[in-house]
Amino acid sequence: MSAQWAMGQVKVPALEPWGPAVYSQMAVSISQQRVEIHKLRQGENLILGFSIGGGIDQDPSQNPFSEDKTDKGIYVTRVSEGGPAEIAGLQIGDKIMQVNGWDMTMVTHDQARKRLTKRSEEVVRLLVTRQSLQKAVQQSMLS
Amino acid sequence: MFSRNHRSRVTVARGSALEMEFKRGRFRLSLFSDPPEDTELQRKLDHEIRMREGACKLLAACSQREQALEATKSLLVCNSRILSYMGELQRRKEAQWLEAKARTLPSDSGPPAERSPCRGRVCISDLRIPLMWKDTEYFKNKGDLHRWAVFLLLQLGEHIQDTEMILVDRTLTDISFQSNVLFTEAGPDFELRLELYGACVEEEGALTGAPKRLATKLSSSLGRSSGRRVRASLDSAGGSGSSSILLPTPAVGGPRYHLLAHTTLTLAAVQDGFRTHDLTLASHEENPAWLPLYGSVCCRLAAQPLCMTQPTASGTLRVQQAGEMQNWARVHGVLKGTNLFCYRRPEDADTGEEPLLTIAINKETRVRAGELDQAPGQPFTLSISNQYGDDEVTHTLQTESREALQSWMEALWQLFFDMSQWKQCCDEIMKIETPAPRKPPQALTKQGSLYHEMAIEPLDDIAAVTDILTQREGTRLETPPPWLAMFTDQPALPNPCSAASVAPAPAWTQPLPWGRPRTFSLDAVPPDHSARACSVVPLPPQRSPQTRGLYSKGQPRTWLQSPV
Repeated sequence: MSAQWAMGQVKVPALEPWGPAVYSQMAVSISQQRVEIHKLRQGENLILGFSIGGGIDQDPSQNPFSEDKTDKGIYVTRVSEGGPAEIAGLQIGDKIMQVNGWDMTMVTHDQARKRLTKRSEEVVRLLVTRQSLQKAVQQSMLS
Repeated sequence: MFSRNHRSRVTVARGSALEMEFKRGRFRLSLFSDPPEDTELQRKLDHEIRMREGACKLLAACSQREQALEATKSLLVCNSRILSYMGELQRRKEAQWLEAKARTLPSDSGPPAERSPCRGRVCISDLRIPLMWKDTEYFKNKGDLHRWAVFLLLQLGEHIQDTEMILVDRTLTDISFQSNVLFTEAGPDFELRLELYGACVEEEGALTGAPKRLATKLSSSLGRSSGRRVRASLDSAGGSGSSSILLPTPAVGGPRYHLLAHTTLTLAAVQDGFRTHDLTLASHEENPAWLPLYGSVCCRLAAQPLCMTQPTASGTLRVQQAGEMQNWARVHGVLKGTNLFCYRRPEDADTGEEPLLTIAINKETRVRAGELDQAPGQPFTLSISNQYGDDEVTHTLQTESREALQSWMEALWQLFFDMSQWKQCCDEIMKIETPAPRKPPQALTKQGSLYHEMAIEPLDDIAAVTDILTQREGTRLETPPPWLAMFTDQPALPNPCSAASVAPAPAWTQPLPWGRPRTFSLDAVPPDHSARACSVVPLPPQRSPQTRGLYSKGQPRTWLQSPV
């Protein structure tokens, strides 16, 4: 039942050629961040408090966070609240480029997981890229 | 239309598995003369019985240990489902009988109908069981890599689900299951029983003739000793307490799964995040399948009560505009989750338009009916009060009639009841990812003939199977595969390279509405194309060419997520 509404309900603002027009622009910029995460000890395990998705052996079109749907990189899909990753400033949707100097752009999913969960490392330094949206709204009026 | 007094006759198809079970005298037909809501359960039971027979045949034909492990797992899961469904049917039958009896007795008003909480969906995912390997004392031969096959069995009510089977050896620090397991129709008093089963991958005492003996024993379905166990389990139906869900394997030889650990999770364990729970270890070191478990399981158990995701009431209301006593705005109200959304028009609720007004309804909200001064023309009012810090904000709503007012009050009382039962699940909607369809067992064999053809088991219709395969393979399957020639009269097609795309895709994204596929033909000979040099099959540009022959993996179909 909702399908029929989706078709007819799109409202398009009327644009007068000589009158005021409202433009809205969205610009996406990429920034690189360095994030240092101190692992938390939970029993026998050291956890970082986030989840990863992606890998060269995965289907990149299902990645909800990537701009480019052929990007097989490793993305942060979830950050546990109050966990070491959140505290360190990692955000959901970040793409992980390097972990402690090891490349993460051309690895399988399991290799990525292993590089993050090495038992001998208590601290991991990640190089991530983050997309940020800037919405610029301009109003131009012709006098 | 079924009435209570009319004895409905269920039709049992000739030659069906269910009919065979009746002939064997396992249960009476009267057990199955049920009202229509139980036919679903009967259908599931019939399905499991057929799957069990398939698993027995598969087990008989297995030559390799890993295949036998998969087949035994399927068999054990089918057995346990059968028991559970039979127990449920028995319970329902008894409940109906009691109800019918109670009705015949003279009674006065009787107890008022009890309010029952709404159902919900419970999903457990990201299961991880840490292991604790000590150095060398457990391994007789340090060079040998001991391997175990483990899987988890989860039971909620009468529903049983299993995870994939994982091979574990001492290089793994934990056992991580990728599957999400979803149970629908759970109540807030649910008990999710989790059991870890393990078996040695290496033969416990290599018996080459064992598979056949195993198969003959299993194929005699519920034998004498199993029958006794069945009856005993029927008495304690519903998967309770200390006994394991699975029947022990009735035959000697072949892989044996042992219960390694178990635990029961309830509403208190539900949280939108990871939690670690304790496992009760059930096996000791002498057990051949013993694994050094750390003793806990880490998982995400989420629950979505229906009252949070589905609208529970909707209708026309008049809202008193802020500050203006006499001005009432007409809105379309929708009660969903912990909010009463007031939309300008009924259609707005579907199109995702922002509501005019949202009134929060939570544990602290107070609702009163008809308390407003009964000014003429203002009957049937509802007032909803919330405390925001020091302020109390009250919204007053008018309904169209007394019946409408009563039904809104009823919906609100039901919502309050549900919130009191589902507790933390009603604070915020927990996300539940639809479980991705599970990968079928990998082609474990190098030379094998077992898994190179996959079929969807309820359909023995080859046309439907090829339809499904072509649909799944998409445009890659340009010519009908050569094995089709075995089943039709068409001559075998000459292009051997199309056989490459018949290889079982390790995972696919389209959900299979009928469960796990099973192998279709155990005797088929794989087409011989080793001698020919395959040229690349013309494929649509976005897919990479397949050149590796029959067992090439093809395009990845999953996008896995792992916690770290």
